[in-house]
Amino acid sequence: MVKRLSLMFTLALFVAMMLVMSIPTSIVAQEAEAEPTPIVGEFGGGETKISYWNGLTGSDGVTMNEMLAQFAMENPEFEVTSEIIPWNTLYAKLQAAFVANQPPDLVLMHASEVPQFASFGVVMDLGPWYTSGGGWFDETDISEITYSGMQYQGVTYGLPLDNHGRGLWINTDMFDAAGIDTDPSTAPDNYEDWVSLLQALTLDVNGNNAADPDFDSENVAQWGYVVGEWPRVNFLSALAQHGGEMVSADEQITVNSDAGIAALQQAVDLVYEYNVSPPPAGFDTWQGFASGSVAVIPTGTWFRNFAVDQTDINGMAWPQVQFGEQPGTWFGIHTFLLPASSTPEKAAAVETLLKWISANQVTWAGSGQVPALLSAQAALDPVNYPSNILLGQTFSDYGVLDYQSTAVQEMYAALDPELDAALNNLKSVEDALNDAAERMQQVLDRAM
Amino acid sequence: MSANQRARLTAASRFSISLKTREILAAYTFLAPFMVFFLIFVVRAVVEAVRMSFYDWHILRPSRPYIGIENYIELINDNVWWIALQNTIVFTALTVVGTTIVALAAAVAVTRPIRGQNFFRVLLYTPSLLSVGAVGLIWVWLLNTQFGIVNYGLSFVGARPVNWLGDPGLVIPSLSLTSIWWGFGFPMLIFIAGLQGIPEQLYEAARIDGGSSADLFWHITLPLLRPTILFVTVTGVISHFQVYGQPFIMTNGGPGRSSYSLIFYLYQIAWTAFRMGYGAAVAVCIAVIMAALTSVQFLVLSRRIEY
Repeated sequence: MVKRLSLMFTLALFVAMMLVMSIPTSIVAQEAEAEPTPIVGEFGGGETKISYWNGLTGSDGVTMNEMLAQFAMENPEFEVTSEIIPWNTLYAKLQAAFVANQPPDLVLMHASEVPQFASFGVVMDLGPWYTSGGGWFDETDISEITYSGMQYQGVTYGLPLDNHGRGLWINTDMFDAAGIDTDPSTAPDNYEDWVSLLQALTLDVNGNNAADPDFDSENVAQWGYVVGEWPRVNFLSALAQHGGEMVSADEQITVNSDAGIAALQQAVDLVYEYNVSPPPAGFDTWQGFASGSVAVIPTGTWFRNFAVDQTDINGMAWPQVQFGEQPGTWFGIHTFLLPASSTPEKAAAVETLLKWISANQVTWAGSGQVPALLSAQAALDPVNYPSNILLGQTFSDYGVLDYQSTAVQEMYAALDPELDAALNNLKSVEDALNDAAERMQQVLDRAM
Repeated sequence: MSANQRARLTAASRFSISLKTREILAAYTFLAPFMVFFLIFVVRAVVEAVRMSFYDWHILRPSRPYIGIENYIELINDNVWWIALQNTIVFTALTVVGTTIVALAAAVAVTRPIRGQNFFRVLLYTPSLLSVGAVGLIWVWLLNTQFGIVNYGLSFVGARPVNWLGDPGLVIPSLSLTSIWWGFGFPMLIFIAGLQGIPEQLYEAARIDGGSSADLFWHITLPLLRPTILFVTVTGVISHFQVYGQPFIMTNGGPGRSSYSLIFYLYQIAWTAFRMGYGAAVAVCIAVIMAALTSVQFLVLSRRIEY
């Protein structure tokens, strides 16, 4: 009897394990057609070698590698080794590389990182490359806010590649079914109208929408919205819409201001008051959209190729939601930096590559991102690049950059869990933002 | 004693001292390669970490002022540290107990003379061969609220979808479950070795005395496995107290900070904020806690051990 029980136990374990191990196989099988982006790509075979690190782990990495291959073909004297590293790991690895005095010849990073690396004195002053410094890169061909993101304490350290930021992606079939116009110019400009729109798009298993008295909030088949998609940038956008800012002019953290509380409370209410969004924890937003269970996903320019290549959803870009009195949307800048230790020969080689990339920024729009050069933005074909044009315009018109500080990432590390706690109903909005503000203030004070 | 005898004795004692010295020298020679690496890569690193914890040490900042015990004072007042410590203790307790029970049960099962015994041993060990990245991604999918096979299975018995990784009360047990599945293979092997070391005569004698299978397990197997259990639990505590990959991949520490672990927090401090000095203070405290926990385990579990 015991022997039989043992055998049954073992077999049960065996079956359970086989079931578990079959899952990744099926995932791989579903995605068999997707072409993986090489983590390390070598382009060309020339004698002038350039090592280049970036964090373009999505489909934008594919576009970048295609551009590098084209550059190497047109410039056979070069060999570019591109290494794609997830952003957080890249920043950590970069610090170690600088300490070891073995940084790459070129690195792509976010403008929000410029103050930190610039303050350490490890990146090169690129001012002479700009026309104001006698160089070739026309700073009047980028927006003022983009130019400001390249600088730290009056010195220009970065050369911008793109603007990438917040917008929406909508499922047009769901809009049509709900009788909602998909024209982006008809997007609501206040919270109440947005709630009505999202309620119309949220359906329970019986087909009732979230405004219907018979709506079954425990059995939702289709969500109108998802608050869990990168809550921080949603919050920063909404904060700006309410006239708030993360840090005041006298360097006080103000995420817990009235504007901040209103911004976060509105997001929380979308989950627990209006039932148009699931709580963030445990909900996969991208797969939710891809599987047709989410009507509107707040995402960004980077979503374009995923939406086109990896879903069967009929979708299109919309501008960022406007919950406050004024429009506002977060955006970031991918920017090239060189190590301060570059030799003149190496810097000249990298300059050649960057001249080529800057001259081909329209090609970069194929990644979904918005070229940094205004002339490249103007040259985009509206048929092929509607999301780049639409969202790019919003960044220029009312975009909000990250706060420029050497400790901004540490401040975000304090803010993110508190936003998550509030959105998952683990803390009140006030408590979450007060706790975040206290911790962020400590970080900011330390960084001063 | 004749002169010859004295001479032989002296020579013998000389030989005896010489032999002892040679043995000592041989021992140190064998130890030397390990000791060199241990001193350079462990002891020196530990000493350096302790020293670093007394400085405001940013990895790239040229100035690194000495700040005494300020990092430790900050740590005591850091509520995230206490949250992470509590999470880590709960995770470690659940995982060590779960792993020990599952590994022991599996070892007992595959020690029985069943058909395909070796096949099952290999199979049950297989999850241990996976990387934490693969395990994390597999279990994120299994436990997914929307598409996960676990919730799908529960739906057949009428259960509502469970938010395994999103519910603050369930997230640590879910991470623990993942870790048990991933990690029980190695302790299972240790238990198999332990079980094979128990003399068969003890079981035969007990059976002759009318002992049931349960009696045999509780009164022979378990007491004689105490050294093995001590080893498995001590190494388990050391290993699981340093959990990092599972929360990093599966929950990113959330919801809120419900699954922050100590090493996860240490990584954030050291490699997101680049505060190496404060990170070193956290690391020193983690090491002290682990040493204390291990000592307590030895004290409690080694009292009635029969080797």
